[in-house]
Amino acid sequence: MGIKNVVETIELVKSYGKHIALDSINLKIKQGATGLLGPNGAGKSTLFKTLLGLISTTSGEGKVLDYNIKVDGPKIRSKIGYMPEYDCLNPDLEAIHQVAYSGELLGMNPSIAMQRAHEVLEYVGLKDQRYRNIETYSTGMKQSAKLACGLIHDPELLIADEPTNGLDTEHRDFMLNTLSQIVRQGGRSLIMASHLMNDVEQVCERIVMLHKGKLIAQGRIEDLKAIEREIEVHAWGGASRLEEMLVDGGYKVRRTGRVLRVVHIDDSTYDQIISAASKSNCQIRRMQDHEASLEDLFIRIMEKLGYGIKSSDELLDSNPNLKNVDAPPELKGVK
Amino acid sequence: MTDGKSLDSEFLGEEGANVTGFSRMEVAYGSGDGDEQATAAVASKSNAEMGTIFEQIYRPWNGQLNSRWIRNWSILRHHIYGMFSKGHRPWGWPVRISLLVLFLGSMNDLFLSFLGNATGVEELSRLFSPSRENLYAHVLGFFPRNVFCFPIAAALLVGGMISEDRKNGTSAIYFSRPVNRTDYTVMKFISVAILLSVLIVGTLGVYYIGDLVLSGEGWAYVIDTLPLFISASIAGFFLVITYSSIGLALSSVSRGKFFPAIALLGIILGTKFIAFLISQLYNDSVVYLLSPYDCVAHLGQKMMGITSTYDHPYSWSLVSIIAMNALSLYILSARVSSMEVTRE
Repeated sequence: MGIKNVVETIELVKSYGKHIALDSINLKIKQGATGLLGPNGAGKSTLFKTLLGLISTTSGEGKVLDYNIKVDGPKIRSKIGYMPEYDCLNPDLEAIHQVAYSGELLGMNPSIAMQRAHEVLEYVGLKDQRYRNIETYSTGMKQSAKLACGLIHDPELLIADEPTNGLDTEHRDFMLNTLSQIVRQGGRSLIMASHLMNDVEQVCERIVMLHKGKLIAQGRIEDLKAIEREIEVHAWGGASRLEEMLVDGGYKVRRTGRVLRVVHIDDSTYDQIISAASKSNCQIRRMQDHEASLEDLFIRIMEKLGYGIKSSDELLDSNPNLKNVDAPPELKGVK
Repeated sequence: MTDGKSLDSEFLGEEGANVTGFSRMEVAYGSGDGDEQATAAVASKSNAEMGTIFEQIYRPWNGQLNSRWIRNWSILRHHIYGMFSKGHRPWGWPVRISLLVLFLGSMNDLFLSFLGNATGVEELSRLFSPSRENLYAHVLGFFPRNVFCFPIAAALLVGGMISEDRKNGTSAIYFSRPVNRTDYTVMKFISVAILLSVLIVGTLGVYYIGDLVLSGEGWAYVIDTLPLFISASIAGFFLVITYSSIGLALSSVSRGKFFPAIALLGIILGTKFIAFLISQLYNDSVVYLLSPYDCVAHLGQKMMGITSTYDHPYSWSLVSIIAMNALSLYILSARVSSMEVTRE
């Protein structure tokens, strides 16, 4: 039996007047952890609102946990835990009461909600701080409290929007470990939006990538990485000549200083590289199959879309000036 | 001992014996006769992994979620119980104390009635007993209740009711759950209306029943005055609904509690003041149609059979008050619809 889809959409379109926020999205998110990636304005927030059944779709179909997003919004929201990116907690309320109230809003009996609030606050590491007002919390503690609000009813699917936003290394590791544990130990599904590739790679086995309202990639990270296998070459004395020779030989090469990454076509590629190095009088200090990271994958996909970016931060970072990076006008959107 | 020497050897300081300290401990603290092998419990380094303060285990929950009405009840109790106990909506102490003072201030007629009954001064007792005018005045008298008590109480209650959800982003907590915007708005409205009703209609009830008890009036008196009490109560509910809808509309367009509170006071007292000035200048009461308080007061006068202080027909006031409430509720619903879940 295949893995069940927790989210499935068919030709899903959401437009606001002339602006198309989601353009014919065919999404299949399986059980487990899935990272949602995309530059600012890619349609992530609209997708979340659509999946939560909060906004009506323009056309197309969609199901979340087998509930129709068009008519079963309340049922979907009672099965989903949502952890918003932004502050959503009452600063004057103690964490224990805030979490219990978020459970009551789901329809939990007050005494059960309180009991469960103790459990989830302990789970997210706030056991000893649960009677403190939220205004006294650090950013990491607030993120944990938000996670506790999302977990109080033990949802089948947790949607976490930028869960590590503003966290220091220690809190970030804890948050990512907790999210991993929810999936691996708790058997729950997770959709995690993040602009930090390492975070997504640490927690998720699948990704969904959106760009300008279109779905540009989805699937297992390992499978996506294997689409373009590369050989990494550390060259010395003549890297430019080697690059030129390889490009002339029909190979795709990415180069940063002395490090060249050559697209693996077949096993003869290794010989061709050595031969090219010999002809160009260039030393090869090291040659190995390149272990691509999600960052590499993202950059390669964005290169295909016409972005000359050097890191995901240029598109995904919260710095508003960097968010202005946009596709070259001649591309007119996605290829 | 490993080298074949006894503990005594160590104690006696024989040459070649290991120095372990065991025999000295036995001498100092032991209870044996000294012939058994001495042992001592010494602290050893624990094998516990340092830095682990709790074991993180995911605990599933298989309970049932209740229906929509239980969710709505939780919103209502969160706001109302918060006035009296911890763990619900945190109303500040200044608000609570102010409302208590206003609550007691709203019952000044009962205190004066009590004074009349207690002192036996018949004029005083008659002056403050629940007559047609006194019941009207309790709810709709301008001074002091509709200058100080009720508008200020309404301003304190509506101030942060919706604006703070927008400011703190707590709207996401509501709308990412199966709470729809209608339920959210209605429950917030009812919460404010109930608290305001306690102040306006509740104190009317306390005044009416309290005076009956104090003066020892009979059933005939009750039958005579009960319709007036009911009319005053209905007029009071009109006032509650009007103040709540205007106040919540103002709260929904703001991100803080100060603006809605001040704006509500400005609308209630400002329109009254301007209408008063213009009516004095032009000797025409029609401008009172702009004043929410005066429109309700006009209706109250009609309902209780009191000689009207306004020249225009009461139906105009009725239309005006309906229009004011409709506009307020439209703004309220439109603004609540715009509240975001993903970002505010």
